[in-house]
Amino acid sequence: MPLVSGFAAPPPEELDLAALQADAKRSFCEDAEPFLGKYCTECHGSRRMRGGINFAPALKDPGSMAFSRQWKQALASVKAHDMPPEDEDEQPTAEERQKFEAWLGKLKYLSPRDPGQFVIRRLTKVEYGNTLRDLFGVDPAVVDALPDEVVGEGYLNSLSPLQSEQFLGIANEVVSQILAADAPPMTEVRKRLFGEPPAPGEDLRAAAQAVARSLAREAYRRPASEAEVDVLLAVFDLARTNGLDHTAALGLMLKAMLVSPQFLFITPAAEAQAGQTIVPLDDYQLASRLSYLLWATMPDPELAGLADRGHLREPAVLQAQVKRLLEDPRSRALFDGFGAHWLGLAKLEKQTFDAAKFPQMTGEMRSAMYEEARLFFQSIVAENQSVVRLIDSDYTYLNDRLATLYGLETEVAGPEMRRVKLTNANRGGILSMPGVLATTSFPNRTSPVNRGVWVLEQVLGEHVPSAPPNVPELEKQDQEQVANLTLRQRTELHRTDAACASCHKILDPIGFGLENFDAIGRWRDADDSGGLIDAAGELPGAERFASPKELKAIIAGRQDELARNLTQRLLAYALCRPLEGYDEIVVDHLMQTIAADGYRIQTLISEIVTSYPFMHHRIQKPTNLLSP
Amino acid sequence: MTHPFRLNRRTCLKGLGATLALPLLETMGWADTTRRTVVKPPVRLGFMYMPHGVIMDQFWPADAASFRSSPPPALESLRDVLDQCLLMKGITGVPIAPFNGAPHALELSTWLTACLPDPDRRSRINIGISADQIAANHLGAHTSLPSLELATMPQTHKENQEGLNEGYYSHCSFRSPTEAVPAETNPRNVLNRLFGHAGQSGPASNADPLDRQMLDLVLDGAKDLRKKLPQDDQHKLDEYLDSVRAVERRIAAIEDRQKEAAMEKAGVASSKRNASDSPPIEIKIPEGDKRSEYMQVMCDLTVLAFQTDTTRVSTYIGSTPNGVSYPELGFTDRHHSTTHHNHNPDLVAKVAAITAFNIAQYAYMVKKMAGLREGDGTLLDNCIMMWGSGLEDGNRHARENLPFIIAGGGGGSIKTGRFLPDTKGNQGDLLTTLLACAGIPLDRPVGIATKQIKEMMATV
Repeated sequence: MPLVSGFAAPPPEELDLAALQADAKRSFCEDAEPFLGKYCTECHGSRRMRGGINFAPALKDPGSMAFSRQWKQALASVKAHDMPPEDEDEQPTAEERQKFEAWLGKLKYLSPRDPGQFVIRRLTKVEYGNTLRDLFGVDPAVVDALPDEVVGEGYLNSLSPLQSEQFLGIANEVVSQILAADAPPMTEVRKRLFGEPPAPGEDLRAAAQAVARSLAREAYRRPASEAEVDVLLAVFDLARTNGLDHTAALGLMLKAMLVSPQFLFITPAAEAQAGQTIVPLDDYQLASRLSYLLWATMPDPELAGLADRGHLREPAVLQAQVKRLLEDPRSRALFDGFGAHWLGLAKLEKQTFDAAKFPQMTGEMRSAMYEEARLFFQSIVAENQSVVRLIDSDYTYLNDRLATLYGLETEVAGPEMRRVKLTNANRGGILSMPGVLATTSFPNRTSPVNRGVWVLEQVLGEHVPSAPPNVPELEKQDQEQVANLTLRQRTELHRTDAACASCHKILDPIGFGLENFDAIGRWRDADDSGGLIDAAGELPGAERFASPKELKAIIAGRQDELARNLTQRLLAYALCRPLEGYDEIVVDHLMQTIAADGYRIQTLISEIVTSYPFMHHRIQKPTNLLSP
Repeated sequence: MTHPFRLNRRTCLKGLGATLALPLLETMGWADTTRRTVVKPPVRLGFMYMPHGVIMDQFWPADAASFRSSPPPALESLRDVLDQCLLMKGITGVPIAPFNGAPHALELSTWLTACLPDPDRRSRINIGISADQIAANHLGAHTSLPSLELATMPQTHKENQEGLNEGYYSHCSFRSPTEAVPAETNPRNVLNRLFGHAGQSGPASNADPLDRQMLDLVLDGAKDLRKKLPQDDQHKLDEYLDSVRAVERRIAAIEDRQKEAAMEKAGVASSKRNASDSPPIEIKIPEGDKRSEYMQVMCDLTVLAFQTDTTRVSTYIGSTPNGVSYPELGFTDRHHSTTHHNHNPDLVAKVAAITAFNIAQYAYMVKKMAGLREGDGTLLDNCIMMWGSGLEDGNRHARENLPFIIAGGGGGSIKTGRFLPDTKGNQGDLLTTLLACAGIPLDRPVGIATKQIKEMMATV
C-alpha cells in the first residue's frame, strides 16, 4: 500500500501571501480593533450582545471561518450607514469607515491555510444507488425508499436509524438477487464476485478469505486492512456455524460489507501520524472524491488502478482523469447533482402551475425542459466551451413538445431531444430557457423580481438580501386602479415606496429585460393586461439594454463574474460545505488560471479538482494567525 | 430528478389485521386477559406542523366561556371534539435574533427544539435535541419503532438564509444537537416500515437473528476503524454506530413480538389484548395527488401506529415552509406568498382557507382517535396530539402568541375542553409540560423553558 506522500511545496496561492498577511495584521491592529472598540462593542460585546451580536469572540480570532459571515454583515451595515445607529452621539468619520471597510477586504489574509474540515462523508442516496449498480448490476431504483436529500454545500451527511434500517433492507434485497438460484444474469455476477464454486476438499475458509479481500477492495474503494478482512471472515464463520452453505455464507459476508461504514462512508486507508494538522488525501480517497464528484459513483477500474499504483496525485495524471471522466456520459451526474440545483430546475417537476392557464405544463413538458438544460450543460462541458456560452449560445436541445414553446413546431418533429440551431438571438443560453423561466415564475404569472434575483444570485454570484416581512405584494394594490397596467407598470408603482426602492431598482430592471418570456418561457409582445412589453432596463453599473438579446450580451460580457460564481459554487459542491476564509484566497488563485485559458469549463473543473482544499484534509483545529 | 408522489394502483388493506397475514398485529393491546386486570394504556405523543402562522382573529377564540359553543372559524372542523381540546394563548416563540433574515428556517427548526442554532457553526446542523426525540429516547424502548417522522414534501429545499444549513428549512426533529432526523414522505414505505408485507425485504418483515449477530460483528469492527480516525470523523462514525444499534434493537423487538404471536397461536394466553379494543383501522393509499388525501393517509398511518403501539411518538410535518400550493382550495398561490397579505381581504381569505384546511386534516386524525376504543376509554384519551405553527402571523413573522392546539387527555394528565386566554410561558415551557404529562422524566428543560405550565394539567 503506498504511503501518503509528505508535504509538497506550498501551494502557488501561498507564494506572496506573507506580505499580504502582515499588512492585514497591521490593519487589524491599527484600524479595525480601535474602530470596533470605539463604535461597536459597547452594544455588541460580551456584556450586552444587542441583536444577538457579539464581536468579542471574533476579535480574538478574526480570520476563523466561524466568523466570516459576521464580518460580512458588519461590513454591509457599516457601508450602508445602518451602524452605528443614527442616534448615537459619536459617529465614525468617513475616513474611519473607509479604513474599516478596507480592512474587511483584507480579512481573508488572516485566515490560516486550511482545506476545511473534511469529515468522512456518507454516500448520498444517488451515489449509493449508482455504486450498487456498478458493483452488482442491480437496478439503482433499489434505493428508492431512502429519503431524498440535499447534496453539495448543505449536505447533512448524517445517518439516522431510518436510513440504517433501509440500508439493511436494501442489502437484503441486493444479496437475495445475487443468490437467487435461477436468474442467469445474476449467476454471472455471482461468479465474478465469489469466484468459481470451490472444488471438493478445498479449504473453504481460505477461499472465503480471498473473496473477502477482493470484494472489500471494490466495496470499500481501498484495500481492506487485515482487521477488516478478519471481521468479514468472522461473519462467514457465523453463517457457517448457523448451518448456511458456502454460497449463502458468502452472501451474509457481502451483506455485512454493505452495511459497514467502510462501504457507506468514504474512509481513509491509513491512520494519520500523530501531531499532523493537515494531511493530503490518500490516493484512494482522492479517487473516490473525484469519481463521486463527476460521476456520482465509485471509481472505475482505470481510476482504481491509478490509485493502487500511487500515481493519481501527479497533476498531469489527475488532470487527464478529469478530462476522461467529463467526456464520459456518466458525467451527467454533475448536472443532476450540481447543475440542476444551480439552475433551480431540480424543483420544476413538483412546482405548481395554474392548470387552466398553462395546460402545457404536463409531466412530459417538464422533463423536456429539464432535458434541454441537461443536454445543453453537458455539451458545454464535453466540448470544453467557455462558461460564457452558458449565457450566450446559438443552439439548444428540443423535441416536438418543447419546440412549441419556441415557435419552432414546424421544424422539430418527434419526441426525442436533438440539437437545434437557433437563429433568433433572443434565445440560446440559460437565461432564455423555458425551464429556468418557469421555475422563476409564480403559478399563474411571471415574476420580474424572482427573475432579477435569480440572475444576480445564481448567474452573477451577488448576494440579494431577503425582503422584510411586511412588504406589500403586488396583489395588495387596488385592483381597479391597476387593472389596465402591465406587470411592469404595477411593479414600478410598488417601487415608489422608498423602503422597497433601494433593492428593487436593482432587481426589477433585470427581470423586466426577460418579460418578453411568459411564465413558461413562450415569447410574447404583450403581457396579460394586453399592454405592450417594455423590456428596457439597466444593470447596476449603468449598462443599458432594450431586449433579452441585449441583456444576455451584457451578462455574457461579465465573464469574470460568471466564471468566479460558477467556480465558487462548484467548489462548495465538491467540498460539501460553504466557502469561507482561506477559500477566498484559493478562488482568487484559481481564477487566474481559468481566465488565462479563456474561461473554458474543463479547465475550471480541473482547477477545482487539483486545488488545495480538494486534495487535502484537516484533522485538527486550525491555527490562529494572530496568536503569538 | 425525484419522482412526484403518485401511486397507480388503489390498494385497500381492508381490515388490516383480518385479511392480511400480519402476525405483529395479533398481539396488540394492553389488557392482560389472563389476570383480568386492566393495564393502564401508555401515553402517546404526536406533533403536527403547519408553517407560516394563522389569521389571528379567525383562530383565537373570543373568550374562554364561548370557546366550545361558538368556536372561531379556523376551529370549525374540531367542533365535535372541542371538549377534548385545549388552547392556550400567550405562548411566545424563541426570539430569533441574530437570525432575523431566516424566519422560515427557524419557525420550523425551533418548533420542537425551542432553541436557536449555534451562530458560530451555522453551516452545519447545531441545535438542541427536539422534544419528540427526547420522548423517543424514553418511550422508544417499549415499541418496535422509537418514533415515526412523517412529511408530505421531500426535505431537499435549497435555501440558506443567514448562512444557515439548508436542513434547518425542512427539518424539525433532531436526535442530537448535530443530527437532523429525515422524515418518510411515501405512505407505502411508512406502512411497510410499520408492519412489513409479503415480498418486502427489510427487518420489519424478516427479523433475522443472524442479521443481528452479523451487525454485532460489524459494529465491533467499526470500533477498530474508529480508533484510526481523527476526532471529528470519530463523531461522525458514532452516528453510524448509534443508528446501527437502533436497528439491532428493532430487530430484537420484532423477534419478541413474533415469539409472543407464536405463543398466542399455540394457545398460551400471553396476549395483552383487551376484547373491548377496536380492531386496527384500514389504510387506503390514495392513487391521485390530491393534497387532502395525501395528508389524511399520513394521519391514518399515525393513528394506526399509535393504535397498535408500534410507536408512541410521531412527528408529522404537514408541509415545510417552502411554497406548497393548494389547488384543491380553488387557487394556486403558494402558501408563503399568501401569508404576506398586508390585510388584502382576498389574500387574508386564502390564508384562512389554508389554515382551516390544515386544521381539518388534524381534526380528521383526532376524531378518528376519538372513535377508537381502548381500555376503558378511547385512543385519544391516552394521546397528546399537538397541532401548531412556527409563527403567529405570517404577514409580520410575529411570534408573540404561537398558535397551538392540544387534543387528547394524555392518560388523564391534561385538562381539556378549555381555552386559556392569558397563558404565561414560551414554547419551551409548553414542550416541557407536554413531556411531563407523557410521564417523561427530564434532566433539563427543553430549549428556553424555565417552567411547566401547570394550568394545562389536570391536577390543578
